Amino acid sequence: MKVFCVIPAWNESKRIGNVVKSVLAVVDQVVVIDDCSDDTTGEIAAKEGATVLCHLVNRDQGAALRTGTKYALQNGAEIIVHFDADGQMRAQDIPLVIQPIIDKEADVVFGSRFLDQKTKMPTFKRYVIMPLAKLVNFIFLHVDLTDPQSGFRAMSRMAAEKIDWQQDGKAHCSEILSLVTKKKLRIKEVPITIIYHNFGQKFSGGIRILKDMILSKLIN
Amino acid sequence: MFQEIIALIIIAFFLFKLFWQKKNQQIQKSEFIFWLIFWIMAALIILLIKQIDLLVAQLGFTGSGIDVAFYLGVALLFYLIFRVRLKMAKLDKQITKLVEKIALNNKN
Repeated sequence: MKVFCVIPAWNESKRIGNVVKSVLAVVDQVVVIDDCSDDTTGEIAAKEGATVLCHLVNRDQGAALRTGTKYALQNGAEIIVHFDADGQMRAQDIPLVIQPIIDKEADVVFGSRFLDQKTKMPTFKRYVIMPLAKLVNFIFLHVDLTDPQSGFRAMSRMAAEKIDWQQDGKAHCSEILSLVTKKKLRIKEVPITIIYHNFGQKFSGGIRILKDMILSKLIN
Repeated sequence: MFQEIIALIIIAFFLFKLFWQKKNQQIQKSEFIFWLIFWIMAALIILLIKQIDLLVAQLGFTGSGIDVAFYLGVALLFYLIFRVRLKMAKLDKQITKLVEKIALNNKN
């Protein structure tokens, strides 16, 4: 099966080279969306063998993932993986994440940081922010996953064609989850390991996600 | 009386600016009409403030006519800010659509 990995990137020139190199070893094509970086992210990614698409203006992660996913679909992808450019995700987890799709057990697979104890998450994030995120997703979207904010996911072509998320910012995670549930796609979670270089999304980021979700309900 | 005159002079200045912007095509017709109505209503409130005071008292408000006009003005402002935020969010979406299309077209 043709596996594309979509990596949205913004100012990741220090890490993108290694990320592309490691991911290319386990997928057929790497698509990097340079979200109007100020540095040489795009050039380095292209040099390492990625197909690079460029946003003329920064539109945030959700928009970059949508651009990359559309490109993957246009170019014959059968499985599409969403992966971060900051080096926190491990390329060796990709085969684990796509296997249930290959085995036809699931349409969308989410990597979960909580199914095993290998991920060393900052304490405040693990015991305060993440439980709050789970609660918000349960109340607003009626989804109950161990890691609803996981950005490490894989979807079959059929699933990618059905899910058309609109959120440009970080709220795209929750929106994708909501759409997957609404479209009655088969979901599976597999354990992944995240390497934290920094805290990642803060509590204020969560508030922004909530604001975006409410605003999108008003617009739509 | 003196405050009313000052307020009317200020409104006249804004009306003059509005017509000048319309003449120089710096403002769209719909915007011009909106602000024209707004400033005319503001002038009418000032000219008829005593009658408004009586009306407001008959309706059971304890405040004066100008207080009620102020509260209504604030409520209207909040509504307009809400509409502007919605418009900005829609524009944001449209920008993303364009950026996405350009990125895909450039690659394909």
